[in-house]
Amino acid sequence: MILVILETPISKAGLESLCCATKLGDTLTVGLVGAAAQEAANSIGGCGARFLAVEGEPYSVSRYATDAAAAEALIRASGAALAIAPCTHRWQRALPGVAQRVGGAIDTHAVDISPGSVRRWYYRQRIEVTLARAATPWIILREPGSGDPWQGVPAQATVERLDVTPPATRTQVEGIEAQAASQQTIRPDAALLFVAGAGWTKKQKDGAVRTSEASELILQFVNRTGASLGSSKSLVDQSGEGQAVLPFLTHLHQVGQTGSTPRHRKGLASCCHGEEPHVVGWRFVNERRAINLDPNCGWARGKADVLYVADAFEVLREAAKALGQPGAD
Amino acid sequence: MNLDADILCVGFGPAMGGFLTTLTRGLSEEGLESAAMPGLPPQVICYERADDISFGVSGVVTRARAIRASFPEFDPDAVPMAAPVTSESLVYLLDPHGASRRPAMLRAADGILKIAAEHGAIELPYIPGFLQKHDGFVLSIGQFNQWAGQQVLMSGLAQIWPSAPVSAPLIEEGRVSGVVLAADGAGVRGALTVVGDGPYGAAGRRLDEEFGLPEGHVRDEWAVGMKLVIELPEDTTLAPGTVIHTFGYPEPEIFGFFYTHPDRIASAGIFVPSWLENPVRTAYRYLQHFIQHPYLWRYVRGGRMKSWGAKSLLESGRRGEPFLAGDGYARIGEGSGSTNVLTGSGVDEAWLTGTQLAEAVLVLLREKKPFTRENLEATYVARRRTSWLERENLVAEKARNGFARGVIQGFLGMALAGFTRGRLHWPSGDVKRRTLKEYYSGRLSPHRIVEIQKQCAAAGISLHDALMDACGWPAIQYDGQLLVTHQDALLMGGKVQAPAGAEDHVLFRDAVLCEECRQRTCIEMCSGQAIHAGETKVPAFEREKCVHCGACLWNCPGNNIAFAAGPGGFHSAEN
Amino acid sequence: MSYQIVVCGGIAPDPLQTLEPVPGPALKNEMMLPHVFDPWAAHALYEAGHLAKLNPGAKVWVVSMAPKAKLQQVMMTVAQKLPFELVPLDGPPGGFTDSADVAEALAAAIRTIAGLDLSRLLLFGGWESATRGAGTTMQRVGALLGITEQFLAVDQLEVRDGGSLRVWERLEGGRQQVSLCSGLPAMLAWATGHLPEPPNHPPTGMANGRLLMPALQKAKPAPAGAGCTFLDVSLPKQIRQTVIVKDKPAAEIAREIVEWITQ
Repeated sequence: MILVILETPISKAGLESLCCATKLGDTLTVGLVGAAAQEAANSIGGCGARFLAVEGEPYSVSRYATDAAAAEALIRASGAALAIAPCTHRWQRALPGVAQRVGGAIDTHAVDISPGSVRRWYYRQRIEVTLARAATPWIILREPGSGDPWQGVPAQATVERLDVTPPATRTQVEGIEAQAASQQTIRPDAALLFVAGAGWTKKQKDGAVRTSEASELILQFVNRTGASLGSSKSLVDQSGEGQAVLPFLTHLHQVGQTGSTPRHRKGLASCCHGEEPHVVGWRFVNERRAINLDPNCGWARGKADVLYVADAFEVLREAAKALGQPGAD
Repeated sequence: MNLDADILCVGFGPAMGGFLTTLTRGLSEEGLESAAMPGLPPQVICYERADDISFGVSGVVTRARAIRASFPEFDPDAVPMAAPVTSESLVYLLDPHGASRRPAMLRAADGILKIAAEHGAIELPYIPGFLQKHDGFVLSIGQFNQWAGQQVLMSGLAQIWPSAPVSAPLIEEGRVSGVVLAADGAGVRGALTVVGDGPYGAAGRRLDEEFGLPEGHVRDEWAVGMKLVIELPEDTTLAPGTVIHTFGYPEPEIFGFFYTHPDRIASAGIFVPSWLENPVRTAYRYLQHFIQHPYLWRYVRGGRMKSWGAKSLLESGRRGEPFLAGDGYARIGEGSGSTNVLTGSGVDEAWLTGTQLAEAVLVLLREKKPFTRENLEATYVARRRTSWLERENLVAEKARNGFARGVIQGFLGMALAGFTRGRLHWPSGDVKRRTLKEYYSGRLSPHRIVEIQKQCAAAGISLHDALMDACGWPAIQYDGQLLVTHQDALLMGGKVQAPAGAEDHVLFRDAVLCEECRQRTCIEMCSGQAIHAGETKVPAFEREKCVHCGACLWNCPGNNIAFAAGPGGFHSAEN
Repeated sequence: MSYQIVVCGGIAPDPLQTLEPVPGPALKNEMMLPHVFDPWAAHALYEAGHLAKLNPGAKVWVVSMAPKAKLQQVMMTVAQKLPFELVPLDGPPGGFTDSADVAEALAAAIRTIAGLDLSRLLLFGGWESATRGAGTTMQRVGALLGITEQFLAVDQLEVRDGGSLRVWERLEGGRQQVSLCSGLPAMLAWATGHLPEPPNHPPTGMANGRLLMPALQKAKPAPAGAGCTFLDVSLPKQIRQTVIVKDKPAAEIAREIVEWITQ
């Protein structure tokens, strides 16, 4: 039996986990956690699962103590040998502790789940592994964006509510802070990820460092194309060293080793030299192009579909012209 | 004097490995007491500049006589990348492209040798005894250092602190009373300071400035060694322990090596010596031509770069020996002139100097004698003078004299010294520094050189590739695996460590001298392309690319580069 | 407030480009590679050091599990950065161990720390290890120690008057959840934080060294298994046929890129 743990309302990542679970060919239980479960259950009623829920105000927020209590109750009540949940912040925080409590095993960042096995990455996303476990319950957190969402029809669902006494907690969730400007972070919803590398802040052909022009060109480009902005670790790190850097970059922009591995459909790397952006950072980006001065850059070769050997300053200047609408900045 | 520790050590390399191995064994056996912290065993602290004790890239073949004396049961299986030598050959590489600069006599000889050559090379039927290493081991010094260092640390009787550069010895009233740490300029006091920071270490150079060199001694011969660690193709036929020494190519003055380690790994590298007269002396481009020589290419084609790195070597040998001991200090290892320039051996010799000093220190500790110049000379220096190290280095002392006059004279001089056990040698001469015009005379017209200089200046790139192309060196066909760009080598062969907040350690002392300099060898020879043309005529330095090879220090014709003790450098991936 | 901060963190090979799995699974030559303190845990350690510096009387312990000889080497660098006491565990290398075993070992080691009051504990770690990259160990350690206030991917911590903690956790899409935790014990698994790597300070190293060396010599073996069967371990092999566009005017490249983006 498989249990799918989802929060309400059900997110796209949740629907992806559900879709994945329905393909495993086992009886399905959906466990819902949130303020109220009925509506969410109805929205996926067509999946044919049994519905369990832990609902109420304490479970309406993402918090370890309450989430862990809810998930533990769902796993115990369902008797499932396999529990699947989306690998979102909420479940990644809560479910490892639950695995400990129920004496189970846990795997995270799964990109593929087959009956009896899981595929995921190790060593900062450099090694692919398929593994199988005998321990139960086995909790698997599935990486958002690595499969299709469930697309069945809504249907009236019967929800069995579990009576879980909210655990004592000293944590109160105050709210969510979204960064004010759209370019303050990597936005997964953008069609294009534009990765700025350390080359932007290096000495250019004329011997000058032109950081302010680089800032202007990059911001102009991402604003006009609606692209999400990412950066390499080396460029972000420089901000800690007091060097001339692009002022709007923070660790939240970082792709690669100790950053994120975005899943945009298209990726354009500029002035990146090295493994982070090319090997790790855009592993899950489908279509990849790069602008680099070095035609022999071993890092773009074999990793990008197209490598433009050109000066990124010039290309972005020209791109700004091609994109037009200066008022759109 | 308040002591922070009893013995302070600068630099962890083979010499310090030998010193600390021998010392900690002695300390654990004898229950000696610390003067700095009474009641405890003597406190021994070693400061290493680099981020790790297995930091640099370094393949070596060594007879390991001193190492085996320290570890009579030495098992190469215990040390990654170590293997006993199984075959050894000395190979003369012909120039397949006709692009190298060969004296007419050599060119004529090549014409004849070509008939007998296989794979563009002649394997010499016999290796002179003084060059043979057949009873030794192929090692990675990085791995060997790590192996030795871990044992020292586990003894609990010495601390080895990496990424802790020492900027200078602490010199007070003519005696060394400790070290000055580069991190905060703080002084640390110890009864004895052991300086083993190599030939271009800041502490050793400061001692040379303060106390000078013994009369007649000079440090004027250097080489930059650059190496690749290569994963050989799966169908390789090379057995671990295969040792190939080469000469003749990519330039006649450049010696090369190729050692096979276990598990299909090889080290291949070249030494670009100070007597190579070319002012645009790029080791990286030469290294790429070296591995593509047909004799070697048949082994490495289809292989993959695992690691890369570079380091300067002091080639003056015993002629460059400083004062080995003074009040409060002693010097060991390569920086103490221990390298044998005839046999091309330095690691085992360095190890030996460390063990000799440790034995001396244990004697002095046991006898409760202070670390004065007299006491150290009577114990350490005396041991060194009566050992095989001194005997063999005296033979080698003048073996390379001939290279100052020409490459053929150089080879003849080595043979002369080697076969007569040092009784005869080639007369010495001064190494000439050629201008570009002189060096390329007969091959590129002065006008063409100026043209190339202008083109390169306009493109903001260094000269060496353009000049080599113009002389007929074929372009490198990059494959992204083994043949990669210089900058890719910095990324794929390891990682440059340049800790945040550290100051630039390469400084150009006098701007006027840089402005007047036409050679700009510092830019052309930089092993990491860290020195490049700047906005002014003073070259620019990028710490993030510096591999700390030290070559700028001795390549600057005006002696205008200060190479301070700075943390970081190149951390080779697998060395 | 005299905080008692325990930072859990292992070591990771660096640079990583030569990683190659071999049967076991293990990494070929892993112990030959240079290693660093796990970069995520390092962020946690710098935050711990910073907090301790601001609160006199606070103390930092680092509980680390790795092959002893390699751990010792790494610690000689880390120990120069800030004052802490090391609790070493001589465990297997690499990321192919199970977080359940690692957590058991870490929690057991934490329980043995003399003078540690678990009810006042601030448990720190990285939100993932750089090797296993699972992000599950710290929560398990927290669960074993009975810590119910847990935070993952922490970017910022504000200690308020009265000892309550305001915590910013990194969510998807760059948003942050802000929570207020009224008291200890708590577990914070850090993302990058905001602090740069502290420069090396050799006297700090020497001060740490007095306890570090004996602790390492006495490090207890801590076995950890994989907990699973590895069916396949491989390096991704997809090589793209990169089209290299040279000698094209910037305007044309720009036009091509814009066209591609808007497709």
